[in-house]
Amino acid sequence: MADQPTNNRLPLEQGLWLITVALAAWMIPGAGHFLIRERKRGVILFAVITTLFVIGLYVGSIGVVDWVGGRIWFYAQVLYSPAVGLIGNVTKHGGYPVYGRPADIGQIYTGIAGLLNLLCVLSAVYMAYCGRGEMIGHEEEEDNG
Amino acid sequence: MADCGFILAAFTAPVEIGTTPSSMLWMFPLLAAIALVYKATKMRVLFTKKYLQQSALLFLSVSGFMFMAIAVLNLLSWLITS
Repeated sequence: MADQPTNNRLPLEQGLWLITVALAAWMIPGAGHFLIRERKRGVILFAVITTLFVIGLYVGSIGVVDWVGGRIWFYAQVLYSPAVGLIGNVTKHGGYPVYGRPADIGQIYTGIAGLLNLLCVLSAVYMAYCGRGEMIGHEEEEDNG
Repeated sequence: MADCGFILAAFTAPVEIGTTPSSMLWMFPLLAAIALVYKATKMRVLFTKKYLQQSALLFLSVSGFMFMAIAVLNLLSWLITS
């Protein structure tokens, strides 16, 4: 049986809240979980996904973000954050070398980072819908000591 | 300031990675990240020890599956070409 929403917000307020959580989670990985008081989860997600994305850019160069020549990859990469669009704007004229195995690894790392962030956006929205952060935040805080 | 420019410049050219079998080792950081993120979104409550244990278990399971896939593909290519 699906979880039912446990908070007492009005439907419109609830909808706006879910949109806010989704946008926050998209703009900064982990921010959606942070908003719903799942702080530990938010910090872990931010650290892991950002590290993956930065490694991808380092290995393949920022040229792997290419919305002209690699549009399908770009759709996956931009799920990491709208800021990826700025990188795409810088690299759209070419000029950054991208080739061989480093390009493959860079595209895979940055693309997977974006898709993992999509998973986090969905997770944050679902948790916000269920009011889970408010319910179990205390249990985690006790574990943290 | 110069250090900052040096760091940014490192992102404008790819690092050297040959098309060798050892370049497949780059899949392991990716698998680790996927295991950590998946478990962070899946577990109801994030108790540190349990989270790390379950992430490690998932990482090892997926790595094992990858090794099996590599072995089977190598065997198939050996059977076809020999």
